[in-house]
Amino acid sequence: MSALQRHCGWLLRAYPAWYRRDRAGEMLGTLLEASPPGARWPSFGEARALVIGALRVRGRTWLLSMLWVVIGAGGAIYATVTITHIGYGEGFRWMFQWPEEPQVIIDVAVIAEVAWLLLSVPLLVAGFVRLRGWRRRNWLRVAGWAGSWVAGLALMSQAAERAAAGEGGTRGVLSVGEMAICAAWLVLGGAMTWILSSPQTQADSSSASKVAIR
Amino acid sequence: MREPTYFILASLLDGPLHGYAIIQRAEHLSDGRVRLATGTLYTALDRLTAEGYVELVREEIVNGRVRRSYGLTPPGAGALRAEAERMAASLVTGRGQSPKTVRSARKLSPA
Repeated sequence: MSALQRHCGWLLRAYPAWYRRDRAGEMLGTLLEASPPGARWPSFGEARALVIGALRVRGRTWLLSMLWVVIGAGGAIYATVTITHIGYGEGFRWMFQWPEEPQVIIDVAVIAEVAWLLLSVPLLVAGFVRLRGWRRRNWLRVAGWAGSWVAGLALMSQAAERAAAGEGGTRGVLSVGEMAICAAWLVLGGAMTWILSSPQTQADSSSASKVAIR
Repeated sequence: MREPTYFILASLLDGPLHGYAIIQRAEHLSDGRVRLATGTLYTALDRLTAEGYVELVREEIVNGRVRRSYGLTPPGAGALRAEAERMAASLVTGRGQSPKTVRSARKLSPA
């Protein structure tokens, strides 16, 4: 296997698995033919087009869901560090901050938190819609996801509650168990992201091969 | 219709082609201006197939990989003709298209 072939293979992994099963071999062939002889890497333009193409296949809901997971993970790290190492400043009940925290960090954190909370609602709905058209047993998964979402929100608010109780510069208390559940919550969000990137309809999953060959 | 889409359809006018052949033909038809990236090509082919403008015609194995050839459907040919005529007309009014695009359009337009 040539270096170019390997590197093109990496890039093609940006596409979801169901799409790759159908198209990866064909696209790899075209990529190899389109690259100049002796090239080790596909050109920048080719790489960019592959990433954009992959994002198009995965869809907007997937992108927003990824954003949700990334913001959530970032928030969890931020909260953990603040709670366990720095302690709390006065003020904001729903935001963890430390004394004399730079305003720019506060602003970014507030925007991220609002975006995260707002995103979770349409994503939850999108997940419901997507899973419904699948199989009946997925209702169980939907219920599990929604349940963990509510549990996670409750835990987060409880953590904030404790943070408020520990005002005045003392370190707050957040148990390992709570953090684990928060982590599990984010993992479930990741799983939802995976579900959201699956084809919307059965026909989509093999659109090219389903077309009758003349 | 966006330019890459137009040239993909135009490249299939003389018969079905596989992925790389479409890229080459589109580049030739556009006087070297439209150099389709692989990702762009397949995104467009997915869309055009879904719209019924393009269809899968042949599947063969080359170097152990599947190679598919795509052909223009009658609705695809119709859409291409309409677009070529629109571009040729816009040359008459002198607006909207670059001279090279219009020259390519004239090559393809029956009028």
